[in-house]
Amino acid sequence: MKRLMLVVMLLAATVASAQVTVRKGAGQKSTIDWSAYQAAGDPMGQSFLKVLTDDLIRSGYFQRGAPGQSELALTGRAGGAGGSFNAEVSVYNRAAQQQVYGKRYPANPQEIRRVAHRVADEIIEAVTGKKGMASATLAMVGTRTGKKEIYLADADGGGLRQLTRDNAISISPQWGPGGRQLVYTSYLKGFPDLYLVELATGARRRIASYSGLNTGGAISPDGGMIAMILSKDGNPELYVRDVNGGALTRLTQTARSAEASPSWSPDGRQIVYVSDQSGTPQLYVISRSGGSPRRITSRGSQNVSPDWGRNNLIAYASLFGGRWNISVLDPVSLEAKQLTPGDADYEDPSWAPNDRHLAAGRAIRYASKVVLLDSLGDPPVVLTDYPGDWTSPAWAPVR
Amino acid sequence: MKIALKIGMLVLMAAAVSMTGCKKKPKAGAGVDVGDLGPVGAGDVYGDALAGRPDALTEIASQFGFVYFEFDSAQVGESERAKVEAVAEYLRGNGSVGVIVEGHCDERGSNDYNLALGERRALAVRAYLVNLGIDAGRIQTRSFGEERPAALGHDEASWSQNRRAEFKLFQ
Repeated sequence: MKRLMLVVMLLAATVASAQVTVRKGAGQKSTIDWSAYQAAGDPMGQSFLKVLTDDLIRSGYFQRGAPGQSELALTGRAGGAGGSFNAEVSVYNRAAQQQVYGKRYPANPQEIRRVAHRVADEIIEAVTGKKGMASATLAMVGTRTGKKEIYLADADGGGLRQLTRDNAISISPQWGPGGRQLVYTSYLKGFPDLYLVELATGARRRIASYSGLNTGGAISPDGGMIAMILSKDGNPELYVRDVNGGALTRLTQTARSAEASPSWSPDGRQIVYVSDQSGTPQLYVISRSGGSPRRITSRGSQNVSPDWGRNNLIAYASLFGGRWNISVLDPVSLEAKQLTPGDADYEDPSWAPNDRHLAAGRAIRYASKVVLLDSLGDPPVVLTDYPGDWTSPAWAPVR
Repeated sequence: MKIALKIGMLVLMAAAVSMTGCKKKPKAGAGVDVGDLGPVGAGDVYGDALAGRPDALTEIASQFGFVYFEFDSAQVGESERAKVEAVAEYLRGNGSVGVIVEGHCDERGSNDYNLALGERRALAVRAYLVNLGIDAGRIQTRSFGEERPAALGHDEASWSQNRRAEFKLFQ
């Protein structure tokens, strides 16, 4: 993977050290105006401004405001010629009459999207005090080649690149900490096995190829352990093991039911997973060292695909009245809240590194795209407007 | 191609034998709670460790009938047993080949859960084969979940064809 080579220069004026944080309630937005930003007539500059302002709007913290009447004004200039590109960006808080952000990025023309995403996250943090997701990476499954392969994309769905070329069935991508590793299930050698890719080098190795099923690979938050679903002992069960091998610890003992989809708690002590031991697939939580599992879902005829966020909330797909929706559940109070509007089938949620948004698959008439969901109420946004089906999104954890 | 044809004929013969011959009743797993697995594909085999995967494995096409399943079930129904028995009969007469039982699901439900459900279907068929006297060491299981539908429609007519186990032979 190419490392982002950026020279960061702070404009002198930036040192408006007093960060004026705009405090807003959930779902409230600051108005921002960029009509004075100078990029007209320059394709690179326009592309930069579009990616940046789309990121700001998608973050949920901003809406476009009218010139002269907005709380925030985004100014500066961006453009380039030949092999160079330069962007200057400032953000002023009009009420406080203070610059809250100002930076200049000289970059290669190939880095325009990355610079725009980075500036977006910096502005979001400067204005709201919260981490953005614009610079994050999404992994997902796409069928563009006719086979299921793993793809990577920027947080806005752009910058799509194909990670696997197995020409088999490659599914269920999950990241290791910092987004340095990605584990997935592939039929590369004829059977469903687990593979691990080191993103820095592209090196790949097969890490689980026991008899029967090897799937559901999920790396622990400290990067040391992997949870997985294996059937080697005669039935699909949940196991943990060192990522690099060694002895397996079997966590479930359900000879008459199936387990699936493990996801670690942020402290790495517990695992949420799917089991149909009650007769239908439901979510259970178990200690990483085993013991008695605790069922945490009661509503919905099926509850699957859990993702335990850093915010300690578990997102999952719930079947209710014949429709799949994404819900979010507090594993302590067991309070659940449905996020999606019931207008389509939503599956496989994954928390974004900003702890506010999620990516999920959305199927309409059996065509699936990856969409962005907002736990604070903004409507879903399509991220993968590409041919083929796009499913199973997974956000890379921030470095 | 030739091998496939030969196997196909053997399958037909095996099926004929199993229809006319005395059909062996599956052993009830003595003292084992068969639970949702029902009378077949349960009991004393289920839960035993799987045989190791052969290092190199050459798959051979076969024409055994598919075993179909009810929605969200891994139980080999009464109507499906003769298909498994035909495979067992063939394996008895062809000691050098092994069988891969492939489990498949319809598209409903999560892909990951369906991988586990498909494996349970394959394991239920495996358990029945073992009950019929086939050495567990000759059987591999492989779940495709909902990834390889046999029928592409989005209704029960297609779904019922997709909830299945298939048989592939290997050497």
